[in-house]
Amino acid sequence: MKPNHHLDDATLLSYSAGALPTALAVVASSHLERCKTCREQLRDADQIGGALMQQQRVGTPAPVARAAMLALLEDEQQGGPVTLSTDMVEERDPDRLPGALHPWFGNSMRALQWRRVAPGVQRILAKDVRGGDLMLLRIAPGSKLPLHSHGGNELTMILDGAYDDLLGHFGPGDVADLDGETLHQPVTSPGVPCICVAATDAPLVFSGWLARTLQPLFGF
Amino acid sequence: MNPDKQIAQVTPLRGILSVPNAANDTALDAQYWSTQMAAVSVHRDRASFMCVYDYFAPRLQRYLRNMHVPESMADELVQEALLILWRKADTFDPARASLATWLYRVARNLYIDHVRKEPHWLPVQEGLDRLDRAESDRRDSQPESIFDQDLLRQAIDHLPPMQAKLVRMSYLESKTHSEISRELDMPLGSVKSSLRRSFAKLQGSMGAPR
Repeated sequence: MKPNHHLDDATLLSYSAGALPTALAVVASSHLERCKTCREQLRDADQIGGALMQQQRVGTPAPVARAAMLALLEDEQQGGPVTLSTDMVEERDPDRLPGALHPWFGNSMRALQWRRVAPGVQRILAKDVRGGDLMLLRIAPGSKLPLHSHGGNELTMILDGAYDDLLGHFGPGDVADLDGETLHQPVTSPGVPCICVAATDAPLVFSGWLARTLQPLFGF
Repeated sequence: MNPDKQIAQVTPLRGILSVPNAANDTALDAQYWSTQMAAVSVHRDRASFMCVYDYFAPRLQRYLRNMHVPESMADELVQEALLILWRKADTFDPARASLATWLYRVARNLYIDHVRKEPHWLPVQEGLDRLDRAESDRRDSQPESIFDQDLLRQAIDHLPPMQAKLVRMSYLESKTHSEISRELDMPLGSVKSSLRRSFAKLQGSMGAPR
């Protein structure tokens, strides 16, 4: 299924620049894995990086560094041919999480160890993410979250199930790329729970968001 | 493209030890790099490879030093980036990206992996590259074209000063939206919309027939 909601161009540009905070970059990578449109945008963004790198004024390389490079090539030729990894992109298995999530959450959706944080809401928080929060959320079907906005940047990708808000219908593969000004009220679709991966670059505000979001609803 | 047509005689090693003189020649165009890379890929031609090295090694070095990578580490990463180019020369496709972009991507990935110490980044990027290659292989009849960055470079030079500043802070200093916002005392939303506008303009310059 082709995603309908994509990464913001400003997010893609930062991703290409290697300037997106880790948690946001993990969600962006997950979406890129499933979205050809955004991969094409990223390719254009990378061309900007290439052009800027090339435009810099520089001198000639140091003879010592040059000699070292040639010595390395010499070693390569003695070392025999390099075999490139040829493993194909794995078949789309509905249980398989996007590759970018494997280091943080493992690779199987079924094997996830959910923690209940409120009635109808389960969560897994990634450990040791620098400069932000990264979490999986599993929200019961047909739940209505209170109206809220976010502090800082937030990126959410749907892995399974769906929700609707004033920005539209979000299904598997879709990302909601939001900044602090967006006010929304997601309602999860009936049927299966909505499982999503969410990242933010402002951990304290986000904790506040979660508390604010869930408090009036679930009273904790 | 038939690379055999364009390949010069393989130069003996003695000939490439001499001091380079083309490192700042801006007239070197996409066709030139495409020819050099075809020689590297097909004939493992070291002279052609060293032309690439002489031009791009100092630029990659400057890029990494700008991002506050210590000098000795920057030297190592430049060497590693170029060694990857040597090994994977056959995956360079001038129709899909310029050589500058290919090398930029590798240097950025090495930076995130080694300097920011996010070792998960490299396998993910390799996965994306594989997807990308699989897709362009599937395209039936790719017209013979070479990505030319001249128009893009001109478009960068014509960005309004503030937009150019934000683009450079992103790419050349690896600043996040929030860092740019704090440093320039500019609302986060304005940082993003400025970057969006710049991207649209620069992308427009790439959309021209190649």
